[in-house]
Amino acid sequence: MVGLAAAFGSGAMTNPIEDIEKAEVILVTGSNTTKNHPVIASYIKRAVKFKGAKLIVVDPRKIPITRFATIWLRQNLGTDVVWINGMMHVIIQEKLYDEAYVKTRTVGLDELIKAVEKFTPEYVEHITGIPKEALVDAARLYAGASAASILYAMGITQHISGTDNVKSLANLAMLCGNMGIPGGGINPLRGQNNVQGACDMGALPNVYTGYQKVDDPAIRERMAKAWGVEPPSQPGLTITQMMDKALSGDIRALYIVGENPMVSDPDLNNVRKSLDSLEFLIVQDIFMTETAQMANVVLPSAAFAEKDGTFTNTERKIQRLRKALDPPGAAREDSDIICDLSSRMGYTMSYNSSLAVMEEIARITPSYCGINYERLERGGIFWPCTGTAHPGTPCLHMDQFTCGLGVFHATDYIPPAELPDEEFPLYLTTGRLLYQYHTGTMTMKSPGLNAIAPECFVEISPEDAKNYNVNDGELLRVTSRRGEIRAKARISEELKPGTIFIPFHYAEAAANMLTNSSLDPAAKIPEYKVCAVNVDTAI
Amino acid sequence: MKLEEKRSMIEKIVKRYPEKESAILPALYFVQSQDNNMLSEQDVKDVAQMLGVSESKTFGVATYYTMFNEKPVGKYHLQVDTNIPATLVGAEEIVAYLEKKLDIKVGETTPEGLFTLSTVEGLGSGGTSPTVQVNATYYERMTIEKVDKLIASLKSGEMPPKDVNYNYGTECGILFKNRDKVDSTSIKTYKSNGGYAALKKARDMKPEAVLAEVKDAGLRGRGGAGFPTGLKWSFLSKEDARPIYLICNADEGEPGTFKDREVMEHDPHLLIEGIAISAYAIGSEKAFIYIRGEFAWIANILETAIEEAVADHQIADLDIVVHRGAGSYICGEETALIESLEGKRGYPRLKPPFPANVGLYGCPTIVNNVETLACVPFIIENGATEFKKIGTENNYGPRLFSVSGHVNKPGVYEYPMGTPLKNILSAAGGVNGNLKAVIVGGLSNPVMRASEIEDLRLDFDSCINAGTMLGSAGIIVMNDAVSIPKIALRTAKFYANESCGECVPCREGTYSMVYYLDKLVSGNGTKEDLNALSYLCKNIRGLTLCPGGDAAVMPIEAMLNKFQKEFEALANHKLSQNKEGASYEYHD
Amino acid sequence: MNITIKDRELEVKEGQTVLQAARENGIYIPSLCYHDRTGPAGKCRVCVVEVEGMAGLHTSCSLEVSEGMKVITDSEKVLEAQKLVVNLLLSTGKHDCLSCEQNGICELQDVAYYLGIETPAFHMADVKPEIDDSSEFVYLDHSKCILCGRCIAGCNGTVVNEVLDFGYRGHEAKVICDNDVPMGHSSCVQCGECVQLCPTGAIIDKLRRGKGRPWETHKVQTTCGYCGVGCQIDLHIKDNEVIDITGKEGVGPNFGSLCVKGRYGYHFLNDPARLKTPLIRTNGSFREASWDEALDLVAKNLNRIKQESGPDAIGVFSSARITNEENYLMQKFARATIGTNNVDHCARL
Repeated sequence: MVGLAAAFGSGAMTNPIEDIEKAEVILVTGSNTTKNHPVIASYIKRAVKFKGAKLIVVDPRKIPITRFATIWLRQNLGTDVVWINGMMHVIIQEKLYDEAYVKTRTVGLDELIKAVEKFTPEYVEHITGIPKEALVDAARLYAGASAASILYAMGITQHISGTDNVKSLANLAMLCGNMGIPGGGINPLRGQNNVQGACDMGALPNVYTGYQKVDDPAIRERMAKAWGVEPPSQPGLTITQMMDKALSGDIRALYIVGENPMVSDPDLNNVRKSLDSLEFLIVQDIFMTETAQMANVVLPSAAFAEKDGTFTNTERKIQRLRKALDPPGAAREDSDIICDLSSRMGYTMSYNSSLAVMEEIARITPSYCGINYERLERGGIFWPCTGTAHPGTPCLHMDQFTCGLGVFHATDYIPPAELPDEEFPLYLTTGRLLYQYHTGTMTMKSPGLNAIAPECFVEISPEDAKNYNVNDGELLRVTSRRGEIRAKARISEELKPGTIFIPFHYAEAAANMLTNSSLDPAAKIPEYKVCAVNVDTAI
Repeated sequence: MKLEEKRSMIEKIVKRYPEKESAILPALYFVQSQDNNMLSEQDVKDVAQMLGVSESKTFGVATYYTMFNEKPVGKYHLQVDTNIPATLVGAEEIVAYLEKKLDIKVGETTPEGLFTLSTVEGLGSGGTSPTVQVNATYYERMTIEKVDKLIASLKSGEMPPKDVNYNYGTECGILFKNRDKVDSTSIKTYKSNGGYAALKKARDMKPEAVLAEVKDAGLRGRGGAGFPTGLKWSFLSKEDARPIYLICNADEGEPGTFKDREVMEHDPHLLIEGIAISAYAIGSEKAFIYIRGEFAWIANILETAIEEAVADHQIADLDIVVHRGAGSYICGEETALIESLEGKRGYPRLKPPFPANVGLYGCPTIVNNVETLACVPFIIENGATEFKKIGTENNYGPRLFSVSGHVNKPGVYEYPMGTPLKNILSAAGGVNGNLKAVIVGGLSNPVMRASEIEDLRLDFDSCINAGTMLGSAGIIVMNDAVSIPKIALRTAKFYANESCGECVPCREGTYSMVYYLDKLVSGNGTKEDLNALSYLCKNIRGLTLCPGGDAAVMPIEAMLNKFQKEFEALANHKLSQNKEGASYEYHD
Repeated sequence: MNITIKDRELEVKEGQTVLQAARENGIYIPSLCYHDRTGPAGKCRVCVVEVEGMAGLHTSCSLEVSEGMKVITDSEKVLEAQKLVVNLLLSTGKHDCLSCEQNGICELQDVAYYLGIETPAFHMADVKPEIDDSSEFVYLDHSKCILCGRCIAGCNGTVVNEVLDFGYRGHEAKVICDNDVPMGHSSCVQCGECVQLCPTGAIIDKLRRGKGRPWETHKVQTTCGYCGVGCQIDLHIKDNEVIDITGKEGVGPNFGSLCVKGRYGYHFLNDPARLKTPLIRTNGSFREASWDEALDLVAKNLNRIKQESGPDAIGVFSSARITNEENYLMQKFARATIGTNNVDHCARL
């Protein structure tokens, strides 16, 4: 998000999902789309099968969508800036970029040209392992399309260079004039149902709703007026920073709603220490999660089918959530709990319904200004929606970028924070499965899903299996500098020798015991996708 | 053969087609040939993977066509044609004899794995029946004695020579002009008799002029429907950037029809010249000959002839691909044929759009029958006027009549359109026994009683006026030893076997018709069963997705109507004790 | 453009089919193999109509409307053809409605009802149930399959999972998975597209079996709670319990399609392990508490820490799983109630 915001002024999927079928070329990178966004994967597959679109997949794993790819580039882990700059190198050398677009819509081309100069196909091959001919083919294919869409997910962002990766993709898209056109754009696929909405609503340390900055006095003034109190002026801390401050004692209490950092965060041993150091931990959830077990107070809340409200999906579309069930026992809706708690703390919050909350959001949020439940009854609306007569904005940056001109950002290669060495000779990359979701709080209650994906496993290439004397199904011990887990080996052709893969869903063999909490300096996203490990057959 | 070698062979096959998936049938044939004539699960997976097609689709294709064996078969797979023309001349006796001789039932393999015995639908050899196909080789004109010799020879590991003394005759000398030449398939022979002159002449004309000539000649399609060929060609849009495909329909599958093979087997260059002229007229640079899968040796003859024609620079601007079907009657229907050529199950398409607009790979496509295309060189060489001197008004040109069943010299006879049926029957050596019934247009057309054919002329319009259709001019002759209900049952079984299964009335309707006819023929039928049959025939007609449904019910409906008493007698159990089934009392 | 269907004059859109025009205007023409998302297939032949001035019967699913067209849907010829199709299907399949999950929403049953068919006119073939229950979520009974091909069109054309196809031929034709292996052993990812598209009881949601009749449930349209795609779903509710989830047809982004989690991963809602009461830790273990007690305890401690160490000694983790309105309230709680910008959620994780 930070990367996109820097380039265009706002960070979200620029084009609607339906646009995928309008693209001539689709570039998918860092997204195991068929597993994590199956419905979007169908759009890609249909575009290829029935609309004649060409697909470029850039992924270190031979993920299922590669079957539909015209070109599959297999980069070494953590080398994304290199291949993206390499593609731009070719596009600039061969003058394949959209000159008119670059001239009228962007700034910073000269810096970009300078920055990508050294990324020759040979250099790219050396760093990324991508054959130079394949890189050139991909560059020509992407640049040759009248509309090309870029789709990416955590495989791009969960690196210490995550922001640079995104900026580079933004450079590539602008260079070829793919921004602000149907079938084009740069489209991050969001992993959780309302991650877009949580960002939009200002559940971030530096912004209020609609990405209004907390350190902007005029905006703060507006909030103060709406809320009747003066909000703080300095940006706050991110989750990972708060964890560190918890450990150091600067943060004494945490109120955690609907999150399970004890499985989802990197370097779990450290997370445990942090939470243990807290004086007071409140967890509000629908199940007794690993995190809730450490709480001082646990508050039971309602699940998605038990409440009214809205979610904003990955394409910025605000859609209704409708109550179908009563929550079990004494469980209450989160909004109800928050308001009650706030009032007990001396600040009265009182709303008749979620509708009333949305009215307040619309009043203070320019991009949500035209949203109301009456309109949503007729279907979802894409933000920005700046008035009740405004139709919403499926495609961003049509005539100009949110920030005016699009900005090219020169990026350079930063290797992953941790590289394999003698002691930890293998790369570990983590990800998700089709049949489980996040930390499994919901999916692991389904007997059917558990029957299909019952337990953690370690995917290992046939070559590595041979080297490490590992049989399929054998119990392995995987160790990193931070911890160890045990899980069964699964020999898979999907992997490149030298890299293993572990899904992170399973608490009893949590991949995040192993992962590195090194952060991207700008976005503060941990480097889940690369760390160094060793494997041996567990005794 | 190693997987990599298979892959490189299949890649070679793929290159012949504009789209990869079209290679699915030849690829399946190839892997089957490398795996003891059997298609294993792994073979299907390999082909799917190599062609980038889903496994289910590949398996669906493999099980749609009859020529792929998903179960192991013996070293020699004996397949006996038991369709009606063959049963009229003793195919069932051959099957019974083979069962006894090999001590296995149909569908079984001898314990040592040498022989598998199967019965199959028409092999396009009605005039040379009975036929026993051994692996890819036809042994025709079989008798019990020949079967003995064949088995003895196979047991010693030798495929004996074929008997190719087919009966034929010609009054026109146009389509059969080279029929009696030695080495008739060579380009040398063909050219020495004036071959390829018409193509040269056509190339000196404008394509529109060639098309106009064919239109003027009033040439009507010889595949069955009799649609004017020139008119069909003129449906192609003039301003269209898409490539145009010409497909020669050589899927000759209508029981009682075996004439196209005569042209291809004995005068392949006549067809190639016809294709080349037609392709020139319609602006096509790629043509396909879709030939029925069983005609493997004829496909080889065609391929050799194409190579000769290429080497002789006759067809420099035209690529002709010979594509073998794999056992499906419905693929004779042009949209099913197109689907099959695209590498799919032979399911007919919804129309419109018609192939001239959206055909092969979504491009404009013309599908013409072999005999139709073979008429084209004569038209161009001699002009429409000469062509129209042959035949009758609106039914011009020569026609190949396939005559099978109870005649003394079954075979293919080239006579002008409109020739009286009686003349054709005489040419075929006359009826063997007392004539009871004739089907003149291939099995799918209404049967005629002996009394109805006195003055019947064999052209499209006369046949329609007489209450039948000329269709593919496959004449099946039946004498009075024949039980019509039995013929009806065999007819229904054929259409049920060949129903593609796509639409309900044909799929379940033919299945139900077999049930009722079987019940009647086995002596357990009732009046209600007869009524149900009539009801089915009446309501299936005109309701199916393709003409296949009509093809199934028209002959049976006619048999029910014209030989009503035979069926009623069965329903009343009068004849249930008559095991011979012959000498019915009922005569019209 | 104006046409007449069943004596009703209708204004219709150019390019529409007769079936679409009829449906939009609430006129029932039976159909089985047609579905809005899979289009005309021409396989079932039950949607035939007659058109004045045109010979023969025409499938309304594929027949485009034209100005002044007069469509007859209930002539004897039409009804006889429709009866033929339904009678053939009923007599060659095993269409017992008694315990069929599709009873009440079965399109074959609807056509039979429309035509008034009580007992099939033809001999009933001896058909045995042909059940494939190898899959966790999808339950097949091939004897109830009418080979309409909608599941196959969906699997290959909509979700492009390419698992299903037709195998074999004629009356033997059937819907196959991969090399005709049981669905549970195939490459099927159990997205349930085939279930959603099946007009009869041949492919159904396994979890739903025996859980309630369609007319005992009510549907609530909402947004899926899993990934960020935001698929529109219908929850099928009986007795405060979700017994089935289907994709909402005709509405983006999913237009009826779903993934295995969205369609079948709803057990957690009624799981006995759901938290039902506030819990307070005392002496290392949890005890149940009232809301008053729990919230007062929280309020007291947060206020105390705020007073002792300032608001920034408190942090708030909001969630990507709760609603916009709740996220709004959470950050407002952090900023206005507590007075800190230490609010974040797991967008990055």
